[in-house]
Amino acid sequence: MKKKNDDQLLQEAREKVSQCDRCGTCLTVCPLFGVQDVEKVSARGKNTITRALAEGGLKPTADVLAAANFCLLCQTCVTNCPNKIKTDEAMINVRQYLMDCTGGASAKYRAVGWMMKNRGMIKFAAGMLSLLRKSGLNRLFPHGMAPEEYTRTHFLTAFAGPAALGQQTVTADVPLTATTKVAYFQGCGMKMMFPEAAAETVEILKTKTQLLVKDNVCCGIPHLAHGLREDFLSLTKENVALYEEADIIVTDCASCGGALKHAASYFTDDPEWKDRVAAFSLKVMDLTEYLVKTGYMPRRKVDATLTYHDPCHLVRGQGVKNQPRELLSATGKFIEMKEADTCCGGAGSFHMDYPDISKKIIEKKQANIEKTGASIVVTGCPGCLIQLNKAAKASGGKFKAMHISQVI
Amino acid sequence: MTKEIVARLKKIVGKEYVMDKLEDRICYSFDATFRDSCPDVVVKPANTEEIVKVLQLAHQHGIPVTAMGAATGNSGGAVPLGKGICLGLTRLNRILKIDVENRMAIVEPGVITDDFANAVLRTGLLFYPPDPASSKISTIGGNIVECAGGPRGVKYGITRDYVLGLEVVLSDGRVVEVGNQVDGDMCGPDWTMLFVGSEGTLGIVTKMFLRLAERPEAKQTILAVYDRLDDAANTVSTIIKSGTIPTTLEIMDNQTIRVVEDYLKAGLPVEADAVLLIEVDGSKVEVERQKEHVINVCRKCGASDVQVAVTNEDIDRLWLARRSISPACGKVSPTKFAEDTTVPRSKVPEMLRKAREIADKHGIKMLLFGHAGDGNLHPNIMTDRHNHAEMEKVELAVKDLFRAALELGGTLSGEHGIGYMKAPFLKWELGEVGFEAGQKVKAALDPAHLLNPGKMFTA
Repeated sequence: MKKKNDDQLLQEAREKVSQCDRCGTCLTVCPLFGVQDVEKVSARGKNTITRALAEGGLKPTADVLAAANFCLLCQTCVTNCPNKIKTDEAMINVRQYLMDCTGGASAKYRAVGWMMKNRGMIKFAAGMLSLLRKSGLNRLFPHGMAPEEYTRTHFLTAFAGPAALGQQTVTADVPLTATTKVAYFQGCGMKMMFPEAAAETVEILKTKTQLLVKDNVCCGIPHLAHGLREDFLSLTKENVALYEEADIIVTDCASCGGALKHAASYFTDDPEWKDRVAAFSLKVMDLTEYLVKTGYMPRRKVDATLTYHDPCHLVRGQGVKNQPRELLSATGKFIEMKEADTCCGGAGSFHMDYPDISKKIIEKKQANIEKTGASIVVTGCPGCLIQLNKAAKASGGKFKAMHISQVI
Repeated sequence: MTKEIVARLKKIVGKEYVMDKLEDRICYSFDATFRDSCPDVVVKPANTEEIVKVLQLAHQHGIPVTAMGAATGNSGGAVPLGKGICLGLTRLNRILKIDVENRMAIVEPGVITDDFANAVLRTGLLFYPPDPASSKISTIGGNIVECAGGPRGVKYGITRDYVLGLEVVLSDGRVVEVGNQVDGDMCGPDWTMLFVGSEGTLGIVTKMFLRLAERPEAKQTILAVYDRLDDAANTVSTIIKSGTIPTTLEIMDNQTIRVVEDYLKAGLPVEADAVLLIEVDGSKVEVERQKEHVINVCRKCGASDVQVAVTNEDIDRLWLARRSISPACGKVSPTKFAEDTTVPRSKVPEMLRKAREIADKHGIKMLLFGHAGDGNLHPNIMTDRHNHAEMEKVELAVKDLFRAALELGGTLSGEHGIGYMKAPFLKWELGEVGFEAGQKVKAALDPAHLLNPGKMFTA
């Protein structure tokens, strides 16, 4: 059912796209337009749809919702747009509006949303996945949602060799003080699908600080992206309250980091929470940001060729580009791949909703990884890691996919 | 549009390439100008045979057909004013041949300009000179039917100069090949040129035979800074008449410099009344001579500073500034009229003076820049289409601009085409007799007026 602030959301979206000149710069950069040459796929088309909805020329239907859902929210259009039109944010608003108009979020998103709101369910899912992995049944799961993990132990066995410790590494510019309270924010994706990598993150952080580990809830990005805005707001409040004592909040998930850093902008008209959420957002750092800032030295140098895939929500969402590369260059032989910052096609649940399109996008990524000759592709987002694992498998063992905390 | 027609279209091109839902159709109702007109159906054929069948069907039932490439046009040429069928040509995107020996290429209309230009560069010997600002997005087909230009036009000419021949589907579905693949062919009148710049009003271009140029060995980029716009304008014709034809010769006035600097922070001289961005190319020896000559002329004509870009970063920075004018304009005001009034090179100083007078007279914001070297100026009027009082002033100013250009022996459009925006003024340029002759040509080739109605001679 349509809610009272839905019209306001739609008008906000219209405002966001109002400066679109329709020049078309967004067409050739959109990963989806690259595999499906249809105007409504492009940001220019989506801006047009937003305007038409807001001006009443287009009725809110399930088909229009499908068009709004067909977006990776990867922000490539935003970065390339001469006017920096935030089509991704407009789409989040439009999705909320359309879902409410067309009878609420689909049963699928509601079910996933419910599960991800619930600490117990996340833990249960994580436990199930670990069991599945041990039994080998994970291979039966579709969409790579129960990925095999290539662990740090595997990695070191293969690449550690006799390389010496303590070689040149990144230098810190602003050392955080000894009394800084650093807390870890563990995303659901890391918890459920990549627990080994999450454990590595904790281990790395513990070398730097007296780490606070909190039993946080979901960052809420899956809810926000799929018309469950209220859930996003209440999850955020829960996390804000939970992390009030921390000075710095470090996460190893690009999507969580992006959501938490931007949370403040969703509370600007909430007098009770505005300041608290703003203070919270300012404390959030990506793992690699934190490590570079504190002058982290990779635990050991490895004799491996590494390449890096930029998660959308890290490179464009947070502007974190150099830090992972610095850390990887200090760890092994780093080779930049072509189009490293092009979306992998994972995009939350997009790869499950549109498996064929997603496959075409990851195939391009796979080719770019293979061209570098790297034996490991590294990234900082569990969503990307699912996709990259599929690519690794499809490559027939030419490379493996790993989270950055398992490598450095 | 009846269900039966839609079903038949689906049969011709395949179900997934026919779009008749509103949310799809509105996305094909515009180009980079500000007017919208929603087609009844969007059809995306894969090849000439399918286009033939679509046009036969449209002809049989009297349905208007407007061809569209990447819809990046600045005059409204691809906006389907007649509704009916929007014929999207982006699936015809193959480069069929790059023939180094004969210095020509065969391409389909949906190929993206830069993709083609880069493919030609990979031969190592040749290049494709037309370089419209939208080359990363625009299609070659669109470039041809709007007759796109670009900065390199001074030395290398515009798209027209690189078209040897075309395959065209006429309005009733018959196919004709005009011109041919041989450079130097001249058999009867130049039919090819009839279709270049025709905006799909005379036929649908389905294949192009293009001429390629020799790739120069070296180039140099120079920035000349002026305290007076007039001095910059005088430099333009002086350089050329005294013996050097630069590859590019771009002018930016003070307002343009400021807008770009605000947007880019590239360290442009914001106090200058104008700058010229000049590039010369050729053999290494020749480039050195041209560079010295250009620097001397700029100084003689009153340049307060002349800089030669040494590093690739410097060159990129200067070109980025030039390419950023359009996006920077978007920051200034919501609606822009990107005009491309063109005058003989010798009249550039006068045209710039007149353009400033016109802006002052009507009290509107106008940026002056453009490809001064071939007289192709871009007076960009910055406004808001929802401000009706100002839009009236803008319309008067546009008319004054056109009139001034024509009085100086110039033209309405150097490279953006006519579209719906300049169609009402076409008669001013062609005269009654010329316009009537044009109508007759249109009637001979498209008697039912089905191709891109509302443009050119049927506006």
